[in-house]
Amino acid sequence: MATTPRIIVVGGGLAGLSAVMKIAEAGGKVDLFSIVPVKRSHSVCAQGGINAAKNLKGEGDNVDKHFDDTVYGGDFLANQTPVKNMTAQGPAIIDLLDRMGVPFNRTPEGLLDFRRFGGTLYHRTAFAGATTGQQLLYALDEQVRRYESEGKVTKYEGWEFLSAVIDSTGVCRGICAMDLRTMEVRTFPADAIIICTGGNGAIFGKSTNSVVCTGSAQSALYQQGAYYSNGEFIQVHPTAIPGEDKLRLMSESARGEGGRVWVPRKKGDPRPAKTIPEADRYYFLEEKYPKYGNLVPRDIATREIHKIVYEQDLGIDGQPMVYLDVSHIDRATLEKKIEGILEIYEKFVGEDPHEVPMKIFPGVHYTMGGLWVDFNQQTNIPGIFAAGEADYSIHGANRLGANSLLSCIYGGFVAGPQAMTYAKNLPAQTGDGGHAAEKVRQMEYNNILLQNQGTENPFKLWRELGDTMTRHATIVRYNAGLKEADAKIVELLERYRNINLTDKSQWANTSFAFSRQLYNMLQLARVIVQGAEKRDESRGAHYKPDFPDRNDEQFLKSTMAAYDAKSDAPVITYEEVDTQWIKPRPRVYTSS
Amino acid sequence: MAKKSAHVEKPKPYTGSTFKVSIKRQASPDAPAHTEEFTLPYRSGLNITSVLVDIAANPINATGATTTAIAYDSNCLEEICGSCAMLINGKARMACSALVDALLHENGKGEITLAPLSKFPVVRDLAVDRSVLFENLKAVKAWVPIDGTYDLGAGPKQFPQIQEERYPLSNCISCTICMEVCPQFNDSTNFVGAATIAQARLFNLDPSGAVLKEDRLRALAGDGGVQECGYAQNCVQACPKQLPLTEAISDMGRDVAIQQVKDFFTR
Amino acid sequence: MGSVAGVAPPDNAHRKGVKPLRAGQGHSFLLRKLHSLTGIVPIGAFLIEHIISNLEIVHGPVAYAKQVLFLNSLPLVRVLEWAFIFIPLLFHAGYGVFIAVRGRSNVNVYPLAGNWMYVMQRVSGIIALLYIIQHLWFQRFSGVSLPEHPGLAYWKVQYELSNPWMVAVYVIGMVATCFHFSYGIWLFCAKWGITPGDDARRKLGYATTAFGVILCGLGLWSIAAIVSAPMVPAVEVIPAPADDSAPAVVPTYQVPTVQQYDSNGQPIPQSAVPQQYAPQPQQ
Ligand SMILES: Cc1cc2nc3c(=O)[nH]c(=O)nc-3n(C[C@H](O)[C@H](O)[C@H](O)COP(=O)(O)OP(=O)(O)OC[C@H]3O[C@@H](n4cnc5c(N)ncnc54)[C@H](O)[C@@H]3O)c2cc1C
Ligand code: HEM
Ligand code: HEM
Ligand code: SF4
Ligand code: F3S
Ligand code: FES
Repeated sequence: MATTPRIIVVGGGLAGLSAVMKIAEAGGKVDLFSIVPVKRSHSVCAQGGINAAKNLKGEGDNVDKHFDDTVYGGDFLANQTPVKNMTAQGPAIIDLLDRMGVPFNRTPEGLLDFRRFGGTLYHRTAFAGATTGQQLLYALDEQVRRYESEGKVTKYEGWEFLSAVIDSTGVCRGICAMDLRTMEVRTFPADAIIICTGGNGAIFGKSTNSVVCTGSAQSALYQQGAYYSNGEFIQVHPTAIPGEDKLRLMSESARGEGGRVWVPRKKGDPRPAKTIPEADRYYFLEEKYPKYGNLVPRDIATREIHKIVYEQDLGIDGQPMVYLDVSHIDRATLEKKIEGILEIYEKFVGEDPHEVPMKIFPGVHYTMGGLWVDFNQQTNIPGIFAAGEADYSIHGANRLGANSLLSCIYGGFVAGPQAMTYAKNLPAQTGDGGHAAEKVRQMEYNNILLQNQGTENPFKLWRELGDTMTRHATIVRYNAGLKEADAKIVELLERYRNINLTDKSQWANTSFAFSRQLYNMLQLARVIVQGAEKRDESRGAHYKPDFPDRNDEQFLKSTMAAYDAKSDAPVITYEEVDTQWIKPRPRVYTSS
Repeated sequence: MAKKSAHVEKPKPYTGSTFKVSIKRQASPDAPAHTEEFTLPYRSGLNITSVLVDIAANPINATGATTTAIAYDSNCLEEICGSCAMLINGKARMACSALVDALLHENGKGEITLAPLSKFPVVRDLAVDRSVLFENLKAVKAWVPIDGTYDLGAGPKQFPQIQEERYPLSNCISCTICMEVCPQFNDSTNFVGAATIAQARLFNLDPSGAVLKEDRLRALAGDGGVQECGYAQNCVQACPKQLPLTEAISDMGRDVAIQQVKDFFTR
Repeated sequence: MGSVAGVAPPDNAHRKGVKPLRAGQGHSFLLRKLHSLTGIVPIGAFLIEHIISNLEIVHGPVAYAKQVLFLNSLPLVRVLEWAFIFIPLLFHAGYGVFIAVRGRSNVNVYPLAGNWMYVMQRVSGIIALLYIIQHLWFQRFSGVSLPEHPGLAYWKVQYELSNPWMVAVYVIGMVATCFHFSYGIWLFCAKWGITPGDDARRKLGYATTAFGVILCGLGLWSIAAIVSAPMVPAVEVIPAPADDSAPAVVPTYQVPTVQQYDSNGQPIPQSAVPQQYAPQPQQ
């Protein structure tokens, strides 16, 4: 065994960078792969903040309450031990970020300031203006750049992970990746790999996610034998700005700072929002959930908005939109705390939210499901670890606001050292560890794709996939619709064989790279749809009107999807959930 | 914090049913560039990135010939990842926040032109290589040298005034627009550009980051350093995140000069 | 693992385009700061002095001659002149041209105020350069030598400005230099961090504009004065100093015999009849 373990980290978001830091610090060598330059990873989008029970507001908050809120918020589907560990480490993680120079907002005394977020009654969310994700990602990126300048980290930006290299004994020995400029396919050796490739919003066409959030890497691994868990749990954020190409998030912090959600009481009220008197406004969240008000957990807020629009027909101007109003808050407060997100609205919609209420609607936002991992963040394939939004741990059936950034860093902090330990005990590979064979497999795939003389345009197929998924597999789900969606995906997979790339060049061919991802998206879409169809209950973000209640007896279980090559379809089984710390109880936010 | 919220003019609706986009294309770094025109159906609310996706989904140019999808960088689509800077109607801006309605009115021709940033090597079409910014950030040690990632307790107290001075600088999205628009940023000066200077300032202001203050100031006195700025101030006007760039340049100019004088007498 | 060779990292060496910062290397910082300083301290200070000195023109040939004599009789005046004017100017101009040609102006695309000023600073610098070259050649290094014959200063300048083209050259030169200098002060303060805030820079902008306008006004005033005054004959209104080390005492008495010069600055042989100098009425 060589003295310096060599670890590959795929993905340079918060999770990936956290893992890299830990490995470099412990003396390992890291090769870091990312499609986009790491600073442009999706983590940069997070606006609201990061949770940790530091109790700096004298509210008696503590890590146990954070633990409980997270498990409860996730409708008890999360394995509790990792959640407990994560929440316990929260305060130390915030301190670390603070030491790394993240410009967190401050109290007059110079201490960290905290705000309130959904699903909790405490001021538990540290924030840096309205660009917390960017600040955290940059801070980690800077640390990694420092290690890079010391020669401990090598970055491969502009490389896409295609698959893992797995030897004849089923142990991972590296990765196969493609340079997105030269289109060169190459394998890279590693003692262990960590997958931190984020979420999969692109499967739904328009979402609040970034363009590269396709879930392609996770899907490739699933097709190589990794379990994919809880795929059906997709968080739809209650407040997004509908747009042509994407749904831009209006952070929960808008409500955290006092933003109120309402619609006119009268259907199709033609008056401009500002002129509608208080009495004629229906603050439906505040009326129904007096305790949490506008800060009920996301799944609940989303369903309420969905109901207002589609069942009560109270959407603004008959459109699927409701008001999110911050115009009653004074300018100075807004400027100091959430100016960044208000600017987004102003920039993309062209109206000033200081003056008029914003128009918003729910949008696909977060992937609770992901690669199955044990409590050490290792997948079922030896040598493959996963962390961040790409894994399924921590959030169960629903993620609480500002818990994700924490879970990404926590996941990376566990995966890094665990991968090191694993690598140190890894017996040497025999032969070439499967490198040559994997490379040939991927090159053949590329050749077929490039030479295919079909008629289908990959971007059009993708739009159809997005429409189907959004219609049938988001806020409200029916088994008939889910079956229809699955059939549609099978059809799309069939049509995929008839794909035609107008661009057959071997240089920075983006549509070629996208087509590869599209295939993986289609495969993963089936996991989502079938998982949802089989789960006949309502839990967290997964809501079926035909099965409106949570069914712990049958479904207090993690969904485990395994790819069956013969039938080219997922096989779904279930695994018990670790509930050793907190006894499941009904999740209700209406009463106290 | 200075209130500089971009004043957004609500664009008047365009009346045509189609609109024209002409795009400067280049198949590879060494291939010759040419312009390709597209005629696209008009919808309100389009931005440039959605136009480019529309072309990808239907890659037919204005002459009716089938062509290839346009290569360009994008990721977040909400002006925070810094990927999508390009020349739109000749000016450097972010494609995801460039609204078609406004652009069609801009040059009075109902037409939009797209081209890659001019100061960076073209990779393909609208995608360019901006890694020089990341190299520059390395050169000025734009990081806080922490002892380790283990639990070392809370960081130093920092008054909100410092945070409020640092925060605007921390909003840089590494889009390189400030460099593109700067007349001094070119291959004969090899000027480092406003963004890196601002980031050096950001870390010098941090109580712990200040440990490397002198290193950063010395780095910025190297060839291509802060002295190359001719104060054209395009950077501060064009920066999509409204960083106080000229202020940072002034501050750093002073600090670098003082450091040089100190070094002259003590080293 | 060791059995597999490490993979070479991505190659950045053959980067095209703008190169990264050469952290802490090279001397351009020093040179650039010297350029900046020379613009203010010797050259800028000289410009103020020069324009104020030239204002003596308004008081007529004798006053101007006295001023020129005074300046030329400063101790070690030739050394001072080279050390504090010519060499700094040569450096500032030379490096200034170097700076100017390396910029890639883009006002056509970004017609913003600061960008215009950036371009104007370069244009005015080049104009100043051309102006100063011709100015030095005609006034300092050719024709009658004024350090030797300060009494002819007024005539020499007036003769030069009897050509309307030269008037235009002087006016343009004056405007360009004063603009260059006053915006230069603003630039200097911005770059040396004396005015870091937007407010400070705006206020200084008003001040330097006012300063530039006044300075330029004074310069133009002397041009106007000498152009509008009746032509004086080419006679020395005060005697030439014996040598460079002459005491800085300006004689109060005017010698009636004066040497005359032709338009090429060549002495005209003395005529038999002594000529009397008739002072011009002052404006
Ligand atoms: C708009 C928005 C706002 C949010 N706000 C908050 C918030 O306020 N608080 C909070 O806690 N959470 C928030 N979240 C959630 C949070 O931002 C994400 O869950 C988190 O950033 C995910 O980080 P990650 O490291 O797992 O992955 P990402 O940051 O998504 O990074 C994925 C990385 O993987 C790389 N990658 C992907 N595929 C491949 C491949 N095939 N090969 C190579 N590299 C690949 C990408 O290049 C990228 O570097 C928000 C999310 C959104 C969409
Ligand atoms: C009103 C317009 C001006 C007049 C009448 C004028 C006149 C003169 C004269 C007569 C001399 C020669 C003095 C001598 O040899 O001792 C001179 C020298 C000089 N002038 Fe001007 N000048 C004018 C404007 C300028 C301007 C705008 C500049 C630009 C900076 C300038 C720069 C110089 C320099 C550098 C010298 C040489 C100084 C020296 O020999 O010590 N002049 N000028
Ligand atoms: C003779 C030809 C000259 C040329 C080619 C020239 C060129 C320049 C240029 C290009 C700059 C801008 C530097 C930058 O932006 O980085 C500059 C600045 C300046 N110049 Fe000149 N200049 C000349 C003459 C003068 C004269 C005669 C004066 C004084 C009266 C002067 C005073 C200044 C000052 C004060 C600055 C600002 C310094 C700074 O940038 O910090 N220059 N010059
Ligand atoms: S300073 Fe502004 S323009 Fe420059 S890279 Fe940063 S965000 Fe872009
Ligand atoms: S545009 Fe360039 S010259 Fe200086 S003020 Fe900005 S960096
Ligand atoms: S796509 Fe991220 S800034 Fe435009």
